[in-house]
Amino acid sequence: MKPAAFDYHAPGDADEAVALLAELGDEARPIAGGQSLMPMLALRLALPEHLVDLGRAEGLRGIEERGDSVWIGATTTQRTIERSAAVARAVPLLARATPLIGHFQIRNRGTLGGSLAHADAAAEYPAVAVALDARFETLSPRGARTVPATEFSTGVYSTDLEPDELLTGAVFPVWSGRCGFAIEEFTRRSGDFAVAGAAVAVELDAGSCVSRCGIGLFGLGSTPLRATAAEAAATGSPSGDVTPEDVGRTAMAELESVPADLHASAGYRRHIGAAVVARAWHRAVQEAAHA
Amino acid sequence: MPDIEIRLTVNDRAWRATVAPRLTLADFLRERCGLTGTHLGCEHGVCGACTILVDGEAVRACLMFAVQADGTRITTVEGIAEPGGDLSPIQAAFRDHHGLQCGFCTPGLITSVTAFLRDNPDPTDDEIRTGLSGNLCRCTGYQGIIAAVRAAARTHPSGKR
Amino acid sequence: MDGLRTAAARYAGTRVARVEDPRLLTGHGTFVDDVVRPGMFHGCFVRSPLARARIAGIDLSGALAVEGVHAIFVADDLNPGVHEQWYTLIGRDVPDTPRPPLAEGEVRFVGDPVALVVAADRYVAEDAAELVAVDYEPLPPVVDYVTARESDELVHAAYPRNVAGDLGGAPLADLAPVFEEAAWVVHETVYQQAYAPVPMETRGIVAEWSAGELTIWAATQSPHEVRLFCARLLGLPEHRVRVVMRDTGGGFGQKVVPQREDMCVMLAAPKLPGALKWIEDRRENLQAAGMSRHEHGEARLAFDADGALLAAAIDHVQDVGAYPVPWPVGTAAAVGMLFPGPYRVPAGTFSTTSVFSNTVGRAAYRGPWQFESVARELLLDTAARRMGMDPVELRRRNLLRRDELPYVNPTGMPYSDVTPLETFEQALKMLDYDAFRDEQRAAREEGRHLGVGTCTYVEPTTAAMPLYGTEGATIRIEPSGTVNVYVSGGSSGNSIETTVVQLTADALGVDIADVSTIQGDTAITPFGGGSGGSRSGSMTAGAVAETASVLRERLVAIAAHRLEAAVEDIELGGGQARVRGVPSVGVAVSELAEIAYFHPEQLPPGVPPGLEASGRYRAESPIIWANATHVCTCEVDVVTGRVTLLRHIVSEDCGPMINPSVVEGQIAGGTVQGIGGVLYEHLAYDADGNPITSTFMDYLLPTASEVPDIEYGHIETLAPGPGGYKGVGEGGAIGTPPAVANAVADALAPFGVEITRLPLTPEAIVALVDGGARTAVPR
Repeated sequence: MKPAAFDYHAPGDADEAVALLAELGDEARPIAGGQSLMPMLALRLALPEHLVDLGRAEGLRGIEERGDSVWIGATTTQRTIERSAAVARAVPLLARATPLIGHFQIRNRGTLGGSLAHADAAAEYPAVAVALDARFETLSPRGARTVPATEFSTGVYSTDLEPDELLTGAVFPVWSGRCGFAIEEFTRRSGDFAVAGAAVAVELDAGSCVSRCGIGLFGLGSTPLRATAAEAAATGSPSGDVTPEDVGRTAMAELESVPADLHASAGYRRHIGAAVVARAWHRAVQEAAHA
Repeated sequence: MPDIEIRLTVNDRAWRATVAPRLTLADFLRERCGLTGTHLGCEHGVCGACTILVDGEAVRACLMFAVQADGTRITTVEGIAEPGGDLSPIQAAFRDHHGLQCGFCTPGLITSVTAFLRDNPDPTDDEIRTGLSGNLCRCTGYQGIIAAVRAAARTHPSGKR
Repeated sequence: MDGLRTAAARYAGTRVARVEDPRLLTGHGTFVDDVVRPGMFHGCFVRSPLARARIAGIDLSGALAVEGVHAIFVADDLNPGVHEQWYTLIGRDVPDTPRPPLAEGEVRFVGDPVALVVAADRYVAEDAAELVAVDYEPLPPVVDYVTARESDELVHAAYPRNVAGDLGGAPLADLAPVFEEAAWVVHETVYQQAYAPVPMETRGIVAEWSAGELTIWAATQSPHEVRLFCARLLGLPEHRVRVVMRDTGGGFGQKVVPQREDMCVMLAAPKLPGALKWIEDRRENLQAAGMSRHEHGEARLAFDADGALLAAAIDHVQDVGAYPVPWPVGTAAAVGMLFPGPYRVPAGTFSTTSVFSNTVGRAAYRGPWQFESVARELLLDTAARRMGMDPVELRRRNLLRRDELPYVNPTGMPYSDVTPLETFEQALKMLDYDAFRDEQRAAREEGRHLGVGTCTYVEPTTAAMPLYGTEGATIRIEPSGTVNVYVSGGSSGNSIETTVVQLTADALGVDIADVSTIQGDTAITPFGGGSGGSRSGSMTAGAVAETASVLRERLVAIAAHRLEAAVEDIELGGGQARVRGVPSVGVAVSELAEIAYFHPEQLPPGVPPGLEASGRYRAESPIIWANATHVCTCEVDVVTGRVTLLRHIVSEDCGPMINPSVVEGQIAGGTVQGIGGVLYEHLAYDADGNPITSTFMDYLLPTASEVPDIEYGHIETLAPGPGGYKGVGEGGAIGTPPAVANAVADALAPFGVEITRLPLTPEAIVALVDGGARTAVPR
């Protein structure tokens, strides 16, 4: 189980990296922490001719609080995020999602950008990003652009990124006010990818009505999903009138195609999905109510 | 596919080597440095047998290329014992509590637990289990390993508070 | 034992620190992948991507052109080199199933080795393997063993109906009156999924040919079997083959005999100018190293109105895949013969059929016959619930009592020296069964679902099959007085080095720090069967006792002569020979050794010089019976189907414990493998015969987070043989799956759930709760 041969490039910054990607074309793949790509290389499921290692690229790493949002560089490790007081304070949902990613040895190398750009539909970070309305920053030889998280994933392991375009960072809006956050997932074992999961952010107004909410689903489609119908049904209602089970049911009702594998049929995934949405909703509302 | 020159420190010894880009760090340590204590149990990042410390942090040596380790300081299981060669307190706890049987997963556990207890010197049982869940063992049923970590935490220099 | 005065055991029975640990904890073990030879080549197998196909042609040109490739072997190159191919473990004369080194003409499972690439390193070997162009003509595979007997397709043309073999007892019809007249009959088909040993170290071998001799370094449980097998395979005199193993990273049955890939490396080595190393990768291990446990049984239990067992019968069918290793038919008989278990069963019979399929071959795994316990214990719980009786009460009425022993079960198994009822009661007491039932009631009122399950079994250990019936030891007391003990052994996780050192120190009355052991090298160790069948402890204890008695006698004779005392008055202990009752008068073993080697003129008449002896122990009974009860409690989340294990208690009788830590480690390891098997692990195939769990992302081994603390209870009865020791390596993997499954069934009893199908995945549990009934049909 050894990777096939490739050429290795270690650009010094993002501009150099995208220039390399443009020059090398389809046969090049960026690599950051490599915690998803390396197994695919070892299994020879991915056979790039060139690897562009972002590990030494300047300007892609760090956590910055920018007023009503937090910017996190793409090559910031999950471990850094896990240890960040700023993230815990300003983006609690992201902080709580992080320990659920793999094991601590994986999080020591795995990066935010790698997780988002790998776009595993069962991963935590993409779902957190869609739930919070995060924005992704990208760079290509044609310049920088911003993509809403909800538009980033386009299918199974595929994204809106062009072959010569890099994810450079993500901007997470800070939800202030009476907010609550919860992430619930069901895994077969500690550290596994989720059979199904839900990341929920809820904001209540002074009268305890749901003024805003985001429900990100993972493991329940070919991309991370936003449970828009469930959100719409809940928004504007007094939080006490919204039963978590209804939120779960509504979230599942709007799903078109749910994946199936050895560990879970589509029907069972929906069943679990409804349960994790309900549990996450309940906890998020509880937290908001006591905020 | 040109080879690349790297410099790194492994167990306090400086290495300079020319490596193929595809050479994993695990294979570099085993085959080029002769440090065969780092074991390959799955080569896809799940079993944890190849766990080493890179700049102090526990990582899978099968999920890094040697070229990515250029400029780092690495500790393998061979570098964990006390300077005089005595077992480290964690290694000793594994021995005292029957925390190993065949010994194949052991190096990855020793390195992982070394980092885990440094960061979390007074863990709960749940934290211990979660901390160990990235290392698979087929012999011990984890019983002796969990007992060893509990015991090592009790005697950990920063855990006595 | 031999009339000589024996010093009291200082080390046996104590938690001696393991002698294996210092090297293993510091990264200084020597596993097969750590072996490096000058000019060594690396091998990689080209494996079939199809479950069944005719090989129309193989084009090696592209692969041979890869820089660094030295040779590529196909079946025509290696297979004709086979002289004889059979396992000592099984014997020459059984109707063994086919086992070609490389696939000949037809591939029969995904992973079937077709060619062996030999290259400068594994990276290059894999590059070249991808370029070997095999022209496959697909054939319809026989994927499902359950329907294989009715298939028009044959896995092996020489085996009609895809039946590899069958065995059985008296016809079931003979018992028809019992079943017809019984007050209660449970009749269910129980199905168990495929899972596997999955040692953390995969398989591996290095073979080096030099001037007519072959040296092999192997990951193996039995170096002497590897040597015998290899010598026969290549037609070499046995003493031209040397097998070396220092550390093996777990075997659990998978490494008990060499497999097809090992044969290929043995056959290729003499054709190469350097050693050849093959280290299996994890995908190969999960695709090609062997499957276990895949079977079902139509099981019947008959009871009288009071719940007393009247009869037990099972019709067992097992999947043996395409190339089982070793011959699987004989082992399957144990499922039927042990199905009555540790219960008073007046009548019983069985049949068993081994069926080929186009999947990976069946291989040995810890307690290969454990399905007897799975089927029996699941049915006992089902029966109790249908009778409205507590499952514990039903078992109490039927478990064998000590005063009924020895007892011959209805299929002829002669149980002796076992304590099933005692372990059962001890485990329940450790749990506080009544308190748990109270807790369960209270939890149910809160909508939480707790359950308790048990499994009680008897287990054959130390079976005196031809390879396993004797065991040798050589002990050399060095001129300095330190001791080396040589046994076949080899460290594969069973702590056999520590065990041997403990026993030898006691037998010679020397300090344990003065004893070392040398194992695993066929050139210097006595012949022995290796680790398998829960035999190492008891047989090696016999070998050490046999050999040490010779040396003790010699030490005593020299000491008596030197101290001018009577032989009868000399006792050994603490590294000294002393005159009994006169502790001030003694002589150190080191001094006796110096006399024995350097001053033969000071030896008493008739005592030979030197202090080295070899002895061989012969098993005193065909089987040593061990037994245990597992009790498990769990909580089931009926919404998600998650099972959380709360407590797992094992009360066993393995006789006196040589080292309680080692015993508990064996039990815990087996138990967690059983937890994996009942809840997580599934070596699964799709309908086309493609393996779908060939990485650790998909094949789910339990982690530390999935297992509870395991609690141990011990009952001690002596087995026949030195020390009264019994085997303890396998039982944990036998008792756990039924105990866990019964705990889940108990938790779900309010839903009318009965369990007949494994594994108990969360999805299966949700389906059971929703269906309120069993899913009985095997697939």
